[in-house]
Amino acid sequence: MNRHRQGVIAAHEDPREILGVAPNAGDEEIRAAYLRKVKENPPDRAPAAFERIRDAYEILRDPRRRALHLLLSADPEAPLVSLLPTRTRERRFTGPGPWLAVMREK
Amino acid sequence: MFGKHKQTKTPPASVGGMTDTSVLTSQEEEVRAMLARGSTKPALELAKKIHKQLGTQASEALLLDAYVARIRSLLEHGLTVEAKALLELVRERYPYAKDKVADLGVKVAVRQGNWDEVVGALNAPAIPEEKRAAIERVLKCQVTDLSALAECAALAPQHPLRVGAAALRKAIEAVTSGQVTDDALRLPEVSHRGPLGPWKTLVRAIAHFYRQDDVACERCLQNIDPDSAPARLVPALQAMLGRRPGEHRLSTASASLVGQVGGSMEGLRNALRSLDAAFAADAQSKIIPEAQRTISACRAACPELVERLHQHIAIRAVNSEVRPSRLQASMGGPAIQNAYFWRLFARSVEGGADFLAVEACSLWEQFRQHALAEGWFQEDGPEAAALYLHMAELLLEIPSEELIEIRAEFMKGFSGYGHSYEGQPPAVRAVPAKHRTPDFYYLFPEGLFERSCAIDPHREAFERWLDWERQQSDWKTADRVAESWRRALPNDSQPLLYLMESAEERGALNKALGYLEQAEKLDALKPEVRRAALRLLVAQAVRYLRQRKPRRAEEKLVDLEALPQAHETDRPAFLAALRWTGCVILGEDKAASGYFTQVSQLLESPAAAVLICRSAGNACGLEPNEMDRCLPRKVFLDQTDSLAGAVARACALGDDMNVAFTIPREFQREIFKELSDDHCSLEARQLRALAEAALRHSLGELAYAASAAGLAKGGATEARFLLLRARALPSWEFERRSDCLAVTAELARRQRDMALVDEAVDLQRGHGGLGTDFLDPLDTLDEHAFSRTTEQVNAVLKREKQSCTFPVQEPEPFYDRFGEEDEADEEDEEDELPTFGDIARLLLESAKAKVKKKRGQKHQDETSGQRSLF
Repeated sequence: MNRHRQGVIAAHEDPREILGVAPNAGDEEIRAAYLRKVKENPPDRAPAAFERIRDAYEILRDPRRRALHLLLSADPEAPLVSLLPTRTRERRFTGPGPWLAVMREK
Repeated sequence: MFGKHKQTKTPPASVGGMTDTSVLTSQEEEVRAMLARGSTKPALELAKKIHKQLGTQASEALLLDAYVARIRSLLEHGLTVEAKALLELVRERYPYAKDKVADLGVKVAVRQGNWDEVVGALNAPAIPEEKRAAIERVLKCQVTDLSALAECAALAPQHPLRVGAAALRKAIEAVTSGQVTDDALRLPEVSHRGPLGPWKTLVRAIAHFYRQDDVACERCLQNIDPDSAPARLVPALQAMLGRRPGEHRLSTASASLVGQVGGSMEGLRNALRSLDAAFAADAQSKIIPEAQRTISACRAACPELVERLHQHIAIRAVNSEVRPSRLQASMGGPAIQNAYFWRLFARSVEGGADFLAVEACSLWEQFRQHALAEGWFQEDGPEAAALYLHMAELLLEIPSEELIEIRAEFMKGFSGYGHSYEGQPPAVRAVPAKHRTPDFYYLFPEGLFERSCAIDPHREAFERWLDWERQQSDWKTADRVAESWRRALPNDSQPLLYLMESAEERGALNKALGYLEQAEKLDALKPEVRRAALRLLVAQAVRYLRQRKPRRAEEKLVDLEALPQAHETDRPAFLAALRWTGCVILGEDKAASGYFTQVSQLLESPAAAVLICRSAGNACGLEPNEMDRCLPRKVFLDQTDSLAGAVARACALGDDMNVAFTIPREFQREIFKELSDDHCSLEARQLRALAEAALRHSLGELAYAASAAGLAKGGATEARFLLLRARALPSWEFERRSDCLAVTAELARRQRDMALVDEAVDLQRGHGGLGTDFLDPLDTLDEHAFSRTTEQVNAVLKREKQSCTFPVQEPEPFYDRFGEEDEADEEDEEDELPTFGDIARLLLESAKAKVKKKRGQKHQDETSGQRSLF
């Protein structure tokens, strides 16, 4: 069941999130998102991002791999700290103060 | 703050017996060393003292260097006012040194937002290009206050720098306060190549960041000059994009920015780390308070994560045997038992003891029900098919007899998970309400395979199903699976090949040929199809010969000759041997002799010809006296001929044609002698065929010798010969056999020869014809039974290579080992020594106890088939 190549995507990461598609996105939508992302991250300019996008698409384009990922991506033994989002989701407008404070910092 | 300094004077000839030069040299070194260490204040004090004492040009130069270093240090520490005062003092006292402190003057001015001093020169109509570039460089690297530049009085109000800075100030305010249009980002007042260009890029990066367009934001960040002032914001933005490991490595202001924009995760991260540590240490007393603290931190910093975290903690707590009621009380209720929860739970149970696989399947069924209700996938979608297949795979890990027992026990005790839904939201509770009648379909691999293949018919699933049915059921059931496969995937030749082999095994050769024809239509070039065509025609010819119908057999032999593959390797010799058989049946001794000669010539060995003709005759049911009539009474070998080589070649041909060859008794001694010779020249392939033939006829000693010759060759085939060695060993050498099989599996794994791994594992588990013994329950449960270190592998290989002699000495009986500890009692209780059966029972009990203990580690309530978890 687990014979597929291990890519750069961690098991608990959601390939749909990497491609920026909705959970119920169809094949066409997934493909369009993949092409858009590759255009934004060509392999010569952003190789790491490109690999993640390619691997995410490889998982999603094959319904069987997609299904396996859905079943096996949950890891109950993974460190709890890995549940934290890797990027800031909510982005609050703060005004220029905190931004310019970074510039003025000695 | 600063003392008066002596003006330069003509130095005296000497001070204290030392010349001025020598005094200066030694003390200058000390000052320079202090400056190098960053101790600018004592260095300046010492330089003043030296200059006061000497008053030379050299001492003045040293003093100036100390002043410059001190001013620089004050600036670095943010003491701009002090730096400015000291700078003015230097300018006043040493006007000739103004060039030396010019850059410090610019820095002080920039720090104080006094751009007049810096940019004033730009008003000059004929400013040298170098000077303009230098000023622009300063602007690029130092402008952190756009307002100061925008209001700089030294420049005309319409000067591009002032206009640009004002536009940027406005844009920064706009992008950090709300969404902006593309027009607001155009900023035509600011040139990309100008000193404020990086600011323009930064404005766009921030705008993209707030628009959630991370790729565009990242691209802008990459374009910001790393030496420019706006580059100071790049680490913070990257952290917010998730490109940096965490905000703890950021500067104070950057971390503050990250916290204000996205909420600080640092406290939550620390709490999670502590909880992870408590789980890892199995520290029961710490888990509950740490969990409580973590959930509180999560509510504050990342409320959307609370539920998921609660679910993970609940599952981890089950495995750490934390009392569910205590956990619930501390966390303010149970975790929501939705599809995510059940999936996590099922995954945590997988990989445990056999009965846990059954429980994992029941948890996966819970997941399926919730996932369908939550719209994760459709009932007939590929996800459902993958799930059924996954459950079947879990059950296949359990030996079939044990599965029947465990399944019955589980079905008897299982009453559903209804009790665990207390306190759950109505939407979650509605799911089990729909499935009140228990359906244990998920405990039957055949049903699971059927469901999976019906939804998503693909080769791997059918292959697995068929393999399992072949091991478990009669041929009719397996054939039914192959027929389903064929119907579902009509272009796949694999089920046809299976059906063909099945018919062939039952002797239904015509039916088998029918399947072969269909397979040939699909893929005539497939190696399996090509081999099958040859094999079936041979089988038909042999059957006609057994029926004493040599003419019908000849028709098949003609068909065989039409196949290109029948002319490959030594196969023509076998066809000639079958024709020899036909002539013997017809009593055409002369023609038979001709065919024997043909076989001899093709194999370049009369001994091999005798073996092949005799084996073909045996397969076709000839009587020994019939064969003797048409075979030479004695075979003479040239000195250069190898009997073992000839026999090995014949055996390989027999294997190829699916006809089991027998090694004649009169050849065995000679072959054994040849194999035991240090200079045995047989190839690995021949040795293997010879060993297989010997094993077929229980000639363990001969197989052992072949394995020894093969092991002596070393190289990649060592694993294969180690397996043959294991099979050749007498049954009482079970420990050695077990070692050989484990090392075979390890070597095969390293060589990625999975077929050999499977063979070794099957033999170790007693499925490969070696029989099971009473120690097997221990072996099958030990997941590390096939794992060996390199040192262990080398030790076993070395031992087996050195053991060239077939073991004949039986070891002492078991009870002698058990009786060692109390020799005094031995005489008294001679009659009460345990029998072999007693010892076997004892070991069986021990094995059962070990199994029970393993089960107990992960599952305490095994009789009820459910757990109190929540």
